[in-house]
Amino acid sequence: MTTSARRKLAAPTLAMLPRVADSLSFLYTEAVRIVQDDTGVCAQVESPNGTDRVYIPTAALACVLLGPGTSITQPAMATFARHGTSIVCVGAGGVRSYAGVLPASLTTAWLEEQVRAWASDDSRLQVATRMYEMRFGASSAPAGATLPQLRGFEGQRVKALYRLLATKYGVKRFKRNYDPDAWDDQDPVNKALSAANACMYGVIHAAVLALGCSPALGFVHSGTQMAFVYDVADLYKARITVPLAFSLHASTDPEREARRRLREDFRAFKLMPQIVADVQSLFDSSGDSSPTADRASDLVHLWDPQAGPLPAGVNYGFEAASVSISEFDTRDLE
Amino acid sequence: MASMVVISTTAIPDHVGGALSRWLIEPTPGLYVGTVSARVRDELWSAVSASVGDGVAVLIHPADTEQGFAIRTAGQRRRHVVDFDGLQLIKFAAIEAEGHASGTSSAIVK
Repeated sequence: MTTSARRKLAAPTLAMLPRVADSLSFLYTEAVRIVQDDTGVCAQVESPNGTDRVYIPTAALACVLLGPGTSITQPAMATFARHGTSIVCVGAGGVRSYAGVLPASLTTAWLEEQVRAWASDDSRLQVATRMYEMRFGASSAPAGATLPQLRGFEGQRVKALYRLLATKYGVKRFKRNYDPDAWDDQDPVNKALSAANACMYGVIHAAVLALGCSPALGFVHSGTQMAFVYDVADLYKARITVPLAFSLHASTDPEREARRRLREDFRAFKLMPQIVADVQSLFDSSGDSSPTADRASDLVHLWDPQAGPLPAGVNYGFEAASVSISEFDTRDLE
Repeated sequence: MASMVVISTTAIPDHVGGALSRWLIEPTPGLYVGTVSARVRDELWSAVSASVGDGVAVLIHPADTEQGFAIRTAGQRRRHVVDFDGLQLIKFAAIEAEGHASGTSSAIVK
């Protein structure tokens, strides 16, 4: 059975891929050419002696950030896709676009939970309130608070946090600024915060896709394809990226330093498993564990509101009363 | 607290291999595996890395990093450990670098 083993190596099954909670957080690339050779993916770097190669552990990475000056070939792109690695194109000035993949056999259990919670205004507000309490502590949101009120509270708290940190690090008059046109003449804190947030979004995007959820259906944010990613990122900014950025107020290379520190924080706070667990608990008000722990779903069911899921691949022609049943009809058509 | 240690060697003097085999086992030529304490590991590594001659030795041991391990190298060939914002990957240099750097380098960048 060497052929099937070969095929498995070329196109790994879900079972062979590390769960996103276990994976390395991100890899940021700049001014390299990413190609595939001998089925391995490597980044080629021009050096005085010729071309240096750095192999990229695709299957172990949650996301690859392609910075300015990178190019990538089609086979390399396809391999990233097969291994479920999110790709984020990060332009100079923090302009981002995302590419992700959905393995066909990925379960829809979490997507259905998300859509159910999102589709009714009541449950959507419940999730938004739960997010607020995750950020600022239990019962920090007054009972029956409306969404505009929550937004107001959040704004005040974030402002207070900026003030607190600016005082702590002796930063004068900090103002959050992510204007792409004035990217290069921004202060180190803004640069570090934008760089750290870009990595954070990429990693969360990968985690959301790995669960099978939609990055687009946000509860607080709405209107863009990344709304839910921004929702989830807000859970950690006050605790992680904002303090990190202020601590780099005197850094000469704030963006690189921010990425290095963020990786440390991902490890120290065990952030990858935390992101997955938090997303799951957002939709799941009862607080019990997942609807399914299994990522792969080999079966396609037919939905039936009364009978529950029914096996697909069966001819249900005999259900129509007007049809006379012959032996031929009851056999599977598979 | 003993932990697993892996040392891979290429073209090292015989006596170094013999010494290593007294602490670790050698499942394939040049690859040594065992479980020793951090202190013994550091002592062993400083002795080995100082005596690789023209050869190469690479030490891999568990560490508190995102990857879960740290890499240390002694001697130089075409592969170099490069740090990408805290992620350690291997750079395969275009051609043999000029001259052998016989010094040790610790890839853990603090």
